[in-house]
Amino acid sequence: MTEKQNQETADQKLVGLLAQFEDPGSLVHACNEARESGYNKIDAYSPFPVHGIDPALGIPRTILPFFVLIIGLTGCAVGLGMQYYANAGDWSPLFPGYNFMISGKPFFSLPANIPITFEIVVLSSAIATFLGMWALNRLPRLANPLHRISRFKRVTNDKFFLLIETKDPQFNREETESQLSQWGASVIEEVNEDLTDQQLPSWLQLAGLMTALVLLIPPVLIFRAEGMTSRQPRLHIVPDMDWQEKYKTQTLSPNLGDKKHPDFLFVDGRAMQEPIPGTIARGELYADSEYFRGIKSGTESFATISTAGVRTGLQDEAQQDDSHQDETAKDKQAEPAQDDPAAPPEPDWVTQFPSGVQVNQALLERGQNRFNIYCSVCHGYAGNGDGLVNARALALAASGQAQWTAAKSLNDPEIKKNPVGRIFDTISNGRGTMGPYKSQIPVEDRWAIVAYVRALQGTGIKPKTMTKAVEETVAE
Amino acid sequence: MHEVRPAKITSPIVSLKDNYVRLIPLSLIVAAAGIGSALLLSLDMQRFSFAYLTCFCSLMSLCLGGLFFVIVMHLTRAGWSVTVRRIAEIIAMCTLPMFILYLPILIPLMAGSDQVYVWNQPGWSIEGDAAHKQAVLDASQYPPPIEELKSYYLNRWFFAGRMVTYFAIWGALAWFFLSNSLKQDKTGDKNLTAKMQKHSTWMMIVFAATLVFSSIDFEMSLAPFWFSTMWPVYFFSGSVLSALAAITLICLWLQRTGRVTDEITVEHYHDLGKLMFSFVVFWGYIAFSQFMLIWYANIPEETFWFAWRINPAPGAPDGVMTGWQWFSLLLLFGHLLIPLLALMARTVRRSKNFLVYAAIYLLVMHWVDHYWIVMPQYSEIISEHVGPAAGLALHFNPLVDIPCAIGMVGVFVALFCLIARDRPLVPLKDPRLGEALAHHNP
Repeated sequence: MTEKQNQETADQKLVGLLAQFEDPGSLVHACNEARESGYNKIDAYSPFPVHGIDPALGIPRTILPFFVLIIGLTGCAVGLGMQYYANAGDWSPLFPGYNFMISGKPFFSLPANIPITFEIVVLSSAIATFLGMWALNRLPRLANPLHRISRFKRVTNDKFFLLIETKDPQFNREETESQLSQWGASVIEEVNEDLTDQQLPSWLQLAGLMTALVLLIPPVLIFRAEGMTSRQPRLHIVPDMDWQEKYKTQTLSPNLGDKKHPDFLFVDGRAMQEPIPGTIARGELYADSEYFRGIKSGTESFATISTAGVRTGLQDEAQQDDSHQDETAKDKQAEPAQDDPAAPPEPDWVTQFPSGVQVNQALLERGQNRFNIYCSVCHGYAGNGDGLVNARALALAASGQAQWTAAKSLNDPEIKKNPVGRIFDTISNGRGTMGPYKSQIPVEDRWAIVAYVRALQGTGIKPKTMTKAVEETVAE
Repeated sequence: MHEVRPAKITSPIVSLKDNYVRLIPLSLIVAAAGIGSALLLSLDMQRFSFAYLTCFCSLMSLCLGGLFFVIVMHLTRAGWSVTVRRIAEIIAMCTLPMFILYLPILIPLMAGSDQVYVWNQPGWSIEGDAAHKQAVLDASQYPPPIEELKSYYLNRWFFAGRMVTYFAIWGALAWFFLSNSLKQDKTGDKNLTAKMQKHSTWMMIVFAATLVFSSIDFEMSLAPFWFSTMWPVYFFSGSVLSALAAITLICLWLQRTGRVTDEITVEHYHDLGKLMFSFVVFWGYIAFSQFMLIWYANIPEETFWFAWRINPAPGAPDGVMTGWQWFSLLLLFGHLLIPLLALMARTVRRSKNFLVYAAIYLLVMHWVDHYWIVMPQYSEIISEHVGPAAGLALHFNPLVDIPCAIGMVGVFVALFCLIARDRPLVPLKDPRLGEALAHHNP
């Protein structure tokens, strides 16, 4: 039974011939025949995947895997590149990257960046597969002329179809039809494309426009927010993390009573209490006076312990604050602090290194290393008091722009007389205008510096690198 | 074009026939010559034991991979793999005689030797673990109690008991599948397939549990202070990869010598190739995950194992490496990146000629993987006892390691022929045989 619908008019365009088959075997047979007759714009439709239909249709292997491979490799390069740029890039002043040094770690370490690279490769490959499949299949297609044929609806149920398109160079209306019926087609039908209504439905156009407008709202709000100030408090998404149920140190206790009868947590009104005088925090006993303070055991008083060793909260910080405030005042003092008659008597300094300190080459090298970092800026690498900061400050002081007490030369005969305990105490607690270093330098490193200073004093190196300008300033 | 394939066995012979009578003595001679010359050339029982353990672990994990293949194919009711399943069943059956091959390690262990497993000494201590020693001593002045805790698990009697249990369980699992499959060859009883499918469920759990603990015992306990929760998965990934390579290689060999003809088609090789490709990726994924978590956390008691393999030697002058970093790089490129790219294309996975080289290559890389696991522990022990300078040597001695590996290949061929004998190499009456013969990759 062959049905003819030969009515090509102005509003219709012939797309191809659709042949119906009753079983998958005859469809595969017809596909083979069509391919061997030289047709290549053909396609088969069936209710289920038919084994062997691809080679029967002459469909070449898809290029999709190569497309995905290229996109995947590109994703790998882009992913690694973006991470490198964000972590270590600093080549462009316009987009400088974020190469922040954190804990001395390298800017870029490959192992840490592999998981993200891997994920980007997977994501880009998946997207490339999905979109590439659509593109290769010429999707999305809003209307297919095949759906205008009512017979074609049974393709999802029990019928098999073969379409030969008019685009095929072999296509010939009469000849193709006779070939199809020869290959066993039960029905042959024309497929026509309707040319009258190529427009999108108006509701779909409206919906698209509305979606585009709605999508514009977030960027507009962001641009608006960027250009204006707001008096509103910020949003608190996790309030119990922003306002924690605790009192911070150095704050007043809340008044639990009323204004007339205030009732604080503690008598002194603080939110937290200072340690009881004489209490010592775990790990801060510092019982070995020679090692921790440079003072001979048994001779130290409680006062020296509390100021030199044990930190008692506020008291210690208050002292530091005082020292900062007095800095300018002390700068004016020409006399060193130890010559001040009002100063407390000198403790009994140790003259030998404590038993906990093994003076050897390793200690001296450590001392040199620490000395060059902490001390040489003022005292100079050879300890002659010719450090760069010192030189610069002296130059500024000479022109009246700053006040500065020249750093001591460690080779000064008076300074050389100092016992090691006193040098240790100087490094720990500062002396004169020199600040304390005990918060920066651990005890064993301080002793290492002392050993190195002793070594420097033994050699008595004379300054060689001092510039003429500085010499003149010093001479003045 | 879709070719029509036979729906039944067409080969005139699907067994080794009388060839096994010739092959067994031949391979046993190779095994004895290889392992014997390794022993003679090393002239050092400890050095030989480590070389032997490397080869043993490579082969042991391969056999376990074969057992996994059999169980998982029943568990998933796979149809495509029926024609290659008998090969995997025979490989799985090799697990039981492998116990005899472990005796050269186990008997000295029971006699009190701590040459291989450093935990096997009375009051064993960190002495065996040079790199870790300083970290522990720095952390505490007191003797670390961790040896005592670990010795409840790592003591020779419990160890030997576990070993006997593992091999008994593996042998029982492998024999269950092989005997039922052979019985089906004669009776054609479809209920046997149903029975194997039913029991493959809990057997997979038992297999997983034994594999986890045995991988820890075999190789992770060489560095008793080290621990990695990823370790059993790492061991497993390499084990299945090597088993797939071995199945592919044996199928190709049988086909070239005419033992099987039409039963194993290019479609089966394609699927085996796909599985090999996926397990190359899986191995790389697991190996990197194990490395990265330890690298990132940077905890000394975990990092020392990797540090010995990739970093300058501890206590050595600046820039002096242990030499193991070359093996680490070899694994990264040779075990992951090169096979990843090589096995990616469909055409190469369907090329029998290519798959011969790919399978041999992957088996060699599997051995390198275990060499990289086992042998650095030897150089660590040497560096501890003889001094840091001795540990810097790579201790790669081709005259010891390569004969030993060849000998172990001989052992494997002998075991395979001993179990295969004149038994059919394809399940003749499996209900899914037709499906497997007509298997076709879309």
